[in-house]
Amino acid sequence: MTYAYLFKYIIIGDTGVGKSCLLLQFTDKRFQPVHDLTIGVEFGARMVNIDGKQIKLQIWDTAGQESFRSITRSYYRGAAGALLVYDITRRETFNHLTSWLEDARQHSSSNMVIMLIGNKSDLESRRDVKREEGEAFAREHGLIFMETSAKTACNVEEAFINTAKEIYRKIQQGLFDVHNEANGIKIGPQQCISTSVGSIASQRNSGDVESNSGCC
Amino acid sequence: MNFLRGVMGGQSAGPQHTEAETIQKLCDRVASSTLLDDRRDAVRALKSLSKKYRLEVGIQAMEHLIHVLQTDRSDSEIIGYALDTLYNIISNDDEEEVDDVEEENSTRQSEDLGSQFTEIFIKQQENVTLLLSLLEEFDFHVRWPGVKLLTSLLKQLGPQVQQIILVSPMGVSRLMDLLADSREVIRNDGVLLLQALTRSNGAIQKIVAFENAFERLLDIITDEGNSDGGIVVEDCLILLQNLLKNNNSNQNFFKEGSYIQRMKPWFEVGDENSGWSAQEVTNLHLMLQLVRVLVSPTNPPGATSSCQKAMFQCGLLQQLCTILMATGVPADILTETINTVSEVIRGCQVNQDYFASVNAPSNPPRPAIVVLLMSMVNERQPFVLRCAVLYCFQCFLYKNQKGQGEIVSTLLPSTIDATGSSVSAGQLLCGGLFSTDSLSNWCAAVALAHALQENATQKEQLLRVQLATSIGNPPVSLLQQCTNILSQGDKIDRRGSKIQTRVGLLMLLCTWLSNCPIAVTHFLHNSANVPFLTGQIAENLGEEEQLVQGLCALLLGISIYFNDNSLESYMKEKLKQLIEKRIGKENFIEKLGFISKHELYSRASQKPQPNFPSPEYMIFDHEFTKLVKELEGVITKAIYKSSEEDKKEEEVKKTLEQHDNIVTHYKNVIREQDLQLEELKQQISTLKCQNEQLQTAVTQQVSQIQQHKDQYNLLKVQLGKDNQHQVSSSDGAQMNGIQPEEIGRLQEEIEQLKSNQELLQSQLAEKDSLIENLKSSLTTPDTNEATASAGESEQIAELKQELTTLKSQLISQSGEMTKLQTEKQELLQKTEAFAKSVPMPIESETVIAAKTADVEGRLSALLQETEELKNEIKALSEERDAIKEQLDSSNSTIAILQNERNKLEVDITDSKKEQDDLLVLLADQDQKIFSLKNKLKEFGHPIEEEDELESGDQDDEDDEDEDDSKDQGHIQL
Ligand SMILES: Nc1nc2c(ncn2[C@@H]2O[C@H](COP(=O)(O)OP(=O)(O)O)[C@@H](O)[C@H]2O)c(=O)[nH]1
Ligand SMILES: [Mg+2]
Repeated sequence: MTYAYLFKYIIIGDTGVGKSCLLLQFTDKRFQPVHDLTIGVEFGARMVNIDGKQIKLQIWDTAGQESFRSITRSYYRGAAGALLVYDITRRETFNHLTSWLEDARQHSSSNMVIMLIGNKSDLESRRDVKREEGEAFAREHGLIFMETSAKTACNVEEAFINTAKEIYRKIQQGLFDVHNEANGIKIGPQQCISTSVGSIASQRNSGDVESNSGCC
Repeated sequence: MNFLRGVMGGQSAGPQHTEAETIQKLCDRVASSTLLDDRRDAVRALKSLSKKYRLEVGIQAMEHLIHVLQTDRSDSEIIGYALDTLYNIISNDDEEEVDDVEEENSTRQSEDLGSQFTEIFIKQQENVTLLLSLLEEFDFHVRWPGVKLLTSLLKQLGPQVQQIILVSPMGVSRLMDLLADSREVIRNDGVLLLQALTRSNGAIQKIVAFENAFERLLDIITDEGNSDGGIVVEDCLILLQNLLKNNNSNQNFFKEGSYIQRMKPWFEVGDENSGWSAQEVTNLHLMLQLVRVLVSPTNPPGATSSCQKAMFQCGLLQQLCTILMATGVPADILTETINTVSEVIRGCQVNQDYFASVNAPSNPPRPAIVVLLMSMVNERQPFVLRCAVLYCFQCFLYKNQKGQGEIVSTLLPSTIDATGSSVSAGQLLCGGLFSTDSLSNWCAAVALAHALQENATQKEQLLRVQLATSIGNPPVSLLQQCTNILSQGDKIDRRGSKIQTRVGLLMLLCTWLSNCPIAVTHFLHNSANVPFLTGQIAENLGEEEQLVQGLCALLLGISIYFNDNSLESYMKEKLKQLIEKRIGKENFIEKLGFISKHELYSRASQKPQPNFPSPEYMIFDHEFTKLVKELEGVITKAIYKSSEEDKKEEEVKKTLEQHDNIVTHYKNVIREQDLQLEELKQQISTLKCQNEQLQTAVTQQVSQIQQHKDQYNLLKVQLGKDNQHQVSSSDGAQMNGIQPEEIGRLQEEIEQLKSNQELLQSQLAEKDSLIENLKSSLTTPDTNEATASAGESEQIAELKQELTTLKSQLISQSGEMTKLQTEKQELLQKTEAFAKSVPMPIESETVIAAKTADVEGRLSALLQETEELKNEIKALSEERDAIKEQLDSSNSTIAILQNERNKLEVDITDSKKEQDDLLVLLADQDQKIFSLKNKLKEFGHPIEEEDELESGDQDDEDDEDEDDSKDQGHIQL
């Protein structure tokens, strides 16, 4: 029940790319082929373990439609991590990434960790966006990148956990003010954490965060 | 605007002309003055007029004030005045302060004013955005009136203003910052603003929650002292309720954020709490409601149950039960606590079990359930409290078979406490059921019905319940007693509603009999019941009785639908005929329809909580409405069905049964096959096991075989070599092909033969010498032996002769061989020379022919010679064979001879032994002769000298052997 840290995430991206399914797969370990259209924002939570530390992830799944865009904007500021999702079988969802990224960068704190996700990797035969393109986009904009499948659960866990690892690393580096909840980070109850614990995790290579396990 | 002008025109007589002019002048100054001080003074003046001359200031100054907000941001004072003025124009809050005593509809008018001015203000969305940006100003003079103004705008036209705030970037987030303001006034007004902001807007509620509202608000409540805190706590609780009510996402977030745990201290209100302030009661009430929001039966089941679990785990439920049993708790708090506990335990087994274990701190301690039921059937208790207890009891039994069983068991004969020292739930329910208070009747009936809900076992158990009526009369069953009371009809005498008791009992009976054919049979067994029901339904009674008629129809319908035809006189078909005859199908259905058409029916069907404004409304139970929904249709169908259809149905049932039989048959077959399969599987597994073992054996053997094969091959190879040796030697006899090879072979053979010969000769020589020795040693023995050995020596001599001839033959053969070899060499040389001489074409044909003839002649000569050689070799080999044969025979003769020799030797040793024996005899006789001679000498007989000498040697011996002589004498005898 207790946790060392609490991280707030948001999931953004065009409608239909599988944001709600990713959240459901992560929190409930199941896939719902017929899913209600998300109206506004839905909430989900799960505990993960990073470096032996319990970390609580609170995730807000947003609606992708343009009409909800302004509502979504309200969530950037308070989030420590964002999963920016596109659908590898629909190029337009990839093309819209720039606009999503602009929004996110404009309204979030500068330290927000953004994970780019190419979802529906199980639909290889219908692939419309090459993996390399996703990688290139992520490299260009300084994002972490992964391809996932909310259907087969491939890399879903990793996507959420790697984002948490990256946030954790930034905390260790002192980039986040953990005492300001507006950053989407909260220290768990009865946790005494001095603000400069840096050494252990900052030595760790950030590359291992970006390395994705190879099932996709 | 037209409307506003109209309003203004109507009121123009009110304010004096000078005020209107003053306002205009002030507006002009605000608009045109270049001096800030001047403008500020003018705005301040407008502010002071804005309450009294709201309309005039609003109409004339609004746009000027907005302009000030846009342009004079640097001066917080003028901004503050402008905001205050706008607030006064828009807000209806301070209405009572205005000494407006003119018209009674002024309030309504001013409300219209507020919303109209709001509409004008928000028409330009930028105005709201501007206001939002002003809220970022830290200055108290700006922020506070800004908060108040925005709150007013939201109160006036909530949805529109909410929409504008929602789409303005960070709008909601900024407002959330107000909760962190260190100035209490702003923080508190910030809470009010957020209340207005979040009202009925899910999206904003979520954003506010996302911005850590729960944490902040719970912190404020804790800081303020929980329920002891003032109105701020109340405001925070209302805001929390706004955020959580009907918002599943936020409820989930609240639960996930472990905020339920933080609610527990709210309810730590000790017994010693003397006197409850009105604020405290209000706060606690809101706190309880907040708990109920999280566990409402209308929430998704999963959400409610997870909150229920959390509430038990963190001790919140336990805390609530403490309040339940505490003394001095205000009635409405107690009632709301009961309602809250009800929903915290509803359908949650763990919580229900805990609740069943709670005891009231009475002496002796009684279960809380019993104490509560006592209140339910107590007329002096407040109606809402009695409703709450019923709800609590219902929630305790909801999906709780265990609890249902426990309650029913307190009514059963075997478990009733004979001493009567403690009241049981069952006793209280029966007491309530048959008391003279209709409300108690109804509550007890519904409570009992809940003990039977979806529980066939308890429906049957309850049939066993017997009641002692008056002394001397036999006990009567509970079912009988219920129908007895019912049968009183509208002549029933009760305090309270006329129909309440009967409706309650009918609902209980309907619940009891549905899905329970045994209960139906029990019910029909009382011959008074059916006539009573048909009578009630058929009669044309007033509107008041319609509901009872409908319920009677339902009960009769249930008696048909769940009838198992076990009573001859009340079989389905007969009951249906009865309806047709006495009531008429149409009429029956119409009466049945009265239930769901009742005005209170739909109200009860909405929520499980029995929440009635007053006792007269207490007619339907929520669970019962579900039963009606379920049965109305099927009963209607059952009634309309003709007997043929019924028969058909029966037939269908029968065929279904047959099918069932077939299915059971096949099931059995399948089961058997399953068993067989199992056996076979086992067999297979054992066979597999064996197979494996055998296979390993086989592999072992295969490897052994391989080894053997290898060995065999090795041997074969060795054998092959041996065979080749043999073949080469035996094939030597077959002569063809090229001569040199054959000759070589022959030579080899001859060489071998020679060595054989030599071996044989040496053997022969040995044997010869042996025989010679034997001969010389046998020269002396018997003539018999001599002839035998003479024959042998003859043979040997013959053999010797043969051997010598063989030897000479061999020598000649080898001579021939060498001759042949040299000849062959010559031939080869000649052939070579001939081959060289052939390619000389110069010589004449005759010469060639002659030469050819010569060569041919020579060749034929050679061939002949070869033929001869061959023949010779053949003869030689024949001879060789003969020699071999002779050798063999001589060998065997040698063996025979050897044998004979051995015999002879034995003979010789025998004869030697004989000789020795003879010699001994001779010696004895000599001795005797000598002794006889000596005796003869003693007797004076002349003997030859030679003999004497000989005897003299023996003399010494004789002396020594005196005893011997005696012995010899003895032998003699
Ligand atoms: N094959 C496949 N389908 C997916 C995957 N993720 C989501 N979907 C489907 O895509 C549709 C949209 O998913 P949803 O989660 O509602 O998208 P959202 O609008 O981004 O929340 C649904 O029909 C899902 O079943 C995936 O990984 N593989
Ligand atoms: Mg969605």
